[in-house]
Amino acid sequence: MSAEPVIQIRNLHKSFGELTVLHGIDLSVAKGEVLAIIGPSGSGKSTLLRCINRLEDYQEGTIEFLGQSMGYDISGGRRRPLPEAVIAKRRARLGMVFQNFNLFPHKTVMENLIEGPIIVKREAREQARKRAMTLLSKVGLAEKADIYPNRLSGGQQQRAAIARALAMEPEAMLFDEPTSSLDPELVGEVLEVMKALAREGMTMVVVTHEMGFAREVAHQVVMMDRGVIVESGVPADFFSRPKEQRTRDFLSKVL
Amino acid sequence: MTYSWHLEMIWDYRQVFARGVVVTLQLTIIALACGVVLGLVFGLMRGARNWLLSMPAMIYIETFRSTPTLVQLVWIYYALPMLTGVQLSAFNSVALGLGLHTAAYLAEIFRAGVNSIDRGQMMAAKAIGMTYFQAMRRIILPQATRRMVPPFINEFATLIKLTSLGSVVAVPEILHEANNVISATFRPLEVYTAVAVVFALIACPMIFVARLLERMLTARS
Ligand SMILES: Nc1ncnc2c1ncn2[C@@H]1O[C@H](COP(=O)(O)OP(=O)(O)OP(=O)(O)O)[C@@H](O)[C@H]1O
Ligand SMILES: [Mg+2]
Repeated sequence: MSAEPVIQIRNLHKSFGELTVLHGIDLSVAKGEVLAIIGPSGSGKSTLLRCINRLEDYQEGTIEFLGQSMGYDISGGRRRPLPEAVIAKRRARLGMVFQNFNLFPHKTVMENLIEGPIIVKREAREQARKRAMTLLSKVGLAEKADIYPNRLSGGQQQRAAIARALAMEPEAMLFDEPTSSLDPELVGEVLEVMKALAREGMTMVVVTHEMGFAREVAHQVVMMDRGVIVESGVPADFFSRPKEQRTRDFLSKVL
Repeated sequence: MTYSWHLEMIWDYRQVFARGVVVTLQLTIIALACGVVLGLVFGLMRGARNWLLSMPAMIYIETFRSTPTLVQLVWIYYALPMLTGVQLSAFNSVALGLGLHTAAYLAEIFRAGVNSIDRGQMMAAKAIGMTYFQAMRRIILPQATRRMVPPFINEFATLIKLTSLGSVVAVPEILHEANNVISATFRPLEVYTAVAVVFALIACPMIFVARLLERMLTARS
């Protein structure tokens, strides 16, 4: 792993009006690293992910992606939101996968995949289609290219959503509980796709309740509770010898 | 008391009615175009988080929704020139007035349609690098449009009927032309009946086409 982190978060504070949701988060994700984030409901995991690609604003701290600020320009001592076009450009290199898939229902699977490459990267349609087809084969959906998302099972939808993110050729991927809204028998197929990605060296931040996945695939596990990082470590230590009482309580509930 | 109908006199004045129909359609189309463009702008502004955008849009929308259309038209025709020194023709005043009026109602329809789309769609669009406007154009509006069609049809039918208010400032639309015919013939029963029928004949096919469109749109998703 190289020295320069792909994602660097320093002292992140985020609130929704009066409610402070993140109280000073520090995190760094190296190239090729898989970071798993666990923690109870409402602890701020989704909010943290959305801050990383600036789908949320935040009040204090910095987030850098590939050495560039995601969100604010702090040169000259003042803190100004970056122009939307700049954020959009940086965001395009950071894929995101949601709990509810969020495929575009008015577009076929293929159209979902080529939308970003054509509209955002201004790629030629043929080239975009070719890469999309390769990606669909990779996630096992080659025959579903011309089908609308509502015809797919949850597991298929999530695999399509992962392929859609990959179609942008991102430098890193964020996953927000990608298997939490799936029927138990469909969880495996999505995790397989994610494992394959990790093996290929994709930098990944994964919010998950799948402890087996975190233990097997992650390089670093972070436990969040009430907007702070309670504990972090490599999976082997983290799961067998958790230091904090809050971590032990949480693990005893989910394991 | 028996009234002897003379419906054949309508036929004698068919050209006058036809002229009225043309003007009514012109008013409808111009006001609709104006209303769609402005309505989209105000609808998006109204939904903005920044109150510098949403506040003016809200004032505009609520002003037009809470005052009578007739008052809006006479205000633009008689009062606006006193403020600005620019006298619009009667036709332009009514086209503008109905356009602004329609914009206010369409803005609410657009906003409701956009709001009805799951928040995750905007996030997903932005996550693949789209700007707000790209996401609106490519992802949100195409989905929202389908839900906007029924209230849009309603507003459209209302607009056609509202053009008859143009008669107040002597725009030669159907009703005004009809009044002229009545002064010449003293046959209000036939003429006003014909006016009602003509309006129904214009509005019905348009509503029918729009319904068809709605069915096609919903069938595809
Ligand atoms: N848009 C919002 N406006 C106001 N409060 C919000 C908003 N989004 C999240 N919150 C609040 O922020 C806190 C953290 O929410 P978040 O969704 O980040 O938690 P989470 O760890 O992802 O939980 P879960 O495991 O249930 O997904 C919660 O108290 C939530 O109610
Ligand atoms: Mg969450």
